[in-house]
This record gives sequence, structure tokens and C-alpha cells, in this order.
Amino acid sequence: MTQSSPAPLLQSDDRLGTQRGAPAAGTAAPLVQVRNLHKGYGPNIRVLKGLSIDMQPGERVVVIGPSGGGKSTLLRVLMGLEQIDEGSIRFAGKPYIEASPAGRRTTIDTVVRRQIGMVFQHYTLFPHLNILNNLILAPCKVHGENKATATARARALLARFGLEAKAEAYPNHLSGGQKQRVAIARALMLDPKLMLFDEVTSALDPELVAEVEQVILQLAQQDMPMVIVTHDMWFAKNIASRVIFCAGGVVVEDGPPEQVLGSPREERTREFIERVFHIR
Amino acid sequence: MTFDFAIVLRFKEALLLGLWTTLQLTVICVVLGSLLGFLVGMARSANSPFVRVPARAYVEVFRGTPVIVQLFWFFFCLPLVIGTEIPNIVAGIIALTLYMGAITSETFRASLKSISREQYDACTALGLPHATQVVHVVLPQALLRAAPTLLSNCVSLFKESALLSAVGMADLMFIGQNISNNTARPVEVLTVVALIYFAIAFPLTRVVTRFESRVLAKLSA
Repeated sequence: MTQSSPAPLLQSDDRLGTQRGAPAAGTAAPLVQVRNLHKGYGPNIRVLKGLSIDMQPGERVVVIGPSGGGKSTLLRVLMGLEQIDEGSIRFAGKPYIEASPAGRRTTIDTVVRRQIGMVFQHYTLFPHLNILNNLILAPCKVHGENKATATARARALLARFGLEAKAEAYPNHLSGGQKQRVAIARALMLDPKLMLFDEVTSALDPELVAEVEQVILQLAQQDMPMVIVTHDMWFAKNIASRVIFCAGGVVVEDGPPEQVLGSPREERTREFIERVFHIR
Repeated sequence: MTFDFAIVLRFKEALLLGLWTTLQLTVICVVLGSLLGFLVGMARSANSPFVRVPARAYVEVFRGTPVIVQLFWFFFCLPLVIGTEIPNIVAGIIALTLYMGAITSETFRASLKSISREQYDACTALGLPHATQVVHVVLPQALLRAAPTLLSNCVSLFKESALLSAVGMADLMFIGQNISNNTARPVEVLTVVALIYFAIAFPLTRVVTRFESRVLAKLSA
């Protein structure tokens, strides 16, 4: 089971550190522009209350915050999985998601959506397909890619993640960590311009967390823009170029990881960080 | 009282012929009933109430009445209602197909419902078009999940098919009853008839049990 460990982890934090300085706002068009996002479930539960974020190309944004603060909902909205009540999102300069007048469905541009990949907390591999077919289903069916080419790409990707021996296996024969690595590979098959990770290690046994985080760190080294929701503060510190503390459906604090995780300016952030680090 | 089971051997051919009829009728009704059940199972989760409500009414009526009453209704009443004679084989096939359709529709409906929201989310995140989602992700899993229950629905139908003897179909039960009446040896003949049904149904139920655990293990991932 462990014979397939991923390629070595980055040697030091510095390699990521050199890329940390995100382009200053205004020098490049934002990759993602979230404006005044409102989202509720039913009439009484408001999850997002006017959330706005700009994300620059190459940024690795880690979203932290208490449960129910809207982190996962934000990611689901970004993936186009949720209806929104108010607000809009632009992606790579194009309109992507737009709230419609009350009672109408949210406008979601599915062509823009294809440029975004997501990995979930729960295992979402297709259990009736082997690993290879899990990987090539979307490229073949969505992009009309030739099966042989897609298979070759899939094998290369699996090899990169130390999973080449599992190509013909079915998901139920994989460990949780392997499943999540496959899920990441499956999303990468579509060459996303942005990756979303929603608590991808929180369902895993502790000893399997590292192998998944290493794969995400590998992607970070290749400048893949990403938004990550995590409760793992060590991981957040290592991967983030920017940390957003989200609570009560709004952005409470937003800044470089040294600031938000190290010496937060907002009282609520400080309380949260202290509590989380205290537990660990 | 002494029992002479050797007497049954004299009617071997007749019993085998009856078994053949039973198997043929079972297969016909399984195939037609499962197709019907699949469509009705889908209809039960349709958005339009004009599709959903009749589908539900059909299932409730056929699950809520005895099969023998359904059978008699199609054999005795339907000809009166439509004003034409119906051969007993047609009435029998209609009744058992409709019964099978009702029970398998529940099997299909449950298996379609068991596909988790996460699977649909994953499809959306991968940009799979709706038709691809249905054909490559939802249906294969739903059918795989339905298979063990469907197989046990088939075993039930195989046993229920003995009711066809009541409308004069020359199936295993009907022939067994005739032999038993003519030879005045009900114990020997009906015991053998029961054993024949059991010999076919029992291995199938074992298969269902083994198959079920394998399917569940696979789909639990």
C-alpha cells in the first residue's frame, strides 16, 4: 500500500517562499474577482454575507476560519456547484457567475467553469471505473480527446504522483490518501487554470495526510493557482502565499501568512488562531 | 402409510415439460417486467407530477394487492371490460409483468436515489455534460447496486409463477397437481414439485447474497 509514495517533497520552505510575493494589485488582471457574494440556505440561514475577494494569477490562497463561516460554501460557489442570492464572479477577465433576480437560477458560464478543478473532502472517485478510466472519462467526453492520448497522459500523471501501479485498480482497493491523490490527478487531466481544495485531508487517517499535502505542494511549486480550505495550520503556513480568515460569511482578515497566522491584526482572527494552535 | 417416490419418475417428462413452461414464463415476465420497472422507477423521480403521480399509483396498487387477485382480474375481468377473449397465457404474462414491474421499479428507484450528491458534484466539477453523467456515472452505478435485489425479485417471480396454474397454464405446479390428483399420491408428487422449485431458487438466493456483498464493497469506495 505504501510502495507508491509521491515524489520527494520540496526541500525547504524557501522554494515556495521565493514565489510568494504576489503581483501587486493593478499590475495584472485578477484571475478571480468575487464581488458582494450573498448565499443562504433557506430563508433563515445566511452563509455568505457580501463577500468580496480578488485573486491574482499565481496566488495560493488558503481560507481558514470557524466551521459554518462560509469557507466550503465559497469554494462550492467558485466551482459553480451552488446557486447564489446576490453578487457576481469573474474569472480570467470573463463573466463567470452572476446572481439572477429572485426566484431565477444563477447564471453560470459552463465553458468558463471547465477551467476550474476541484477536489472534495469526501472521496468522489467513480467506484465502478478503474483509476485510469476515472482519469480519462472527462478528457474524452468533455474535450473529445482521443482515448490513447488521454491514457498516455493519465499514466504519466499517475507516475508523477507515485500511483502508476494502481492504474488498473478500482477505487475500493486504494487507501484514502491514494484516493485523494487520484482525485487530484483526475482534476489535473483537464488542465485547470485554478484548483480548489476543500478540506481534502480532513477525512483521512493522520498518517495519510502528508502524502496528499505533498502532492498539493508539488503543484504549488509549478505555480498552479489554488484556493485551499484547510484546518491544518502547518500546511496552511507552508503552502499559502496569502491567507484569508473568513467568519460569519465575510472576510475578517486577509494578508500574507506571516501576518494572518503569525501576528493577526483582528481580534477574531487572533482568538481563532490561538484556539486552533492550542488544540494542536 | 407407505410412500413410493419411484412413482414420480414415471412422470418425469411431464414434470420437466412443466418446469420448462415455468422457466419460459418467468424469463418473459422478468425481462418485460424489469424494463417496465426501470421506466417506472425513473418516472417516479420525474419533475412533472403528470408522470410521477400515475407511476406511483400503479406501483401502490400492484404492491398493495395479492398477485392472485391481479391474475384473476386480468383473466376473468379484463375480457369482460374490453369485450374480447384473452388467452390465459396473455392474461398470465400481463399480470405477472405488471407485478414484476411494480416491485422492480422500487428496486431501481432506491438504487438511483442511493447515488450520493458527491458523485453529482464530481461530475459537475469535471464538466461532464448531463448525458455523460447519466450514461457513464449514474446508470452503471445504479444498475450495479440494483442487481442483487433485482436477482432476488426474479427468484420471487419464479416462485409466484406457480399461481399461473390457477388460470390453467400448464406449468410445473399445474402438472404436479394433475399428476397428484390422478395418482392419488399428493405427498410424493407435491414434495418433488417443491424440491424442484427449491433446487432452482435456493442456489439463486445464495448467489444474491454473495454478489451483494461484493457489489457493496466495490461501490463503497
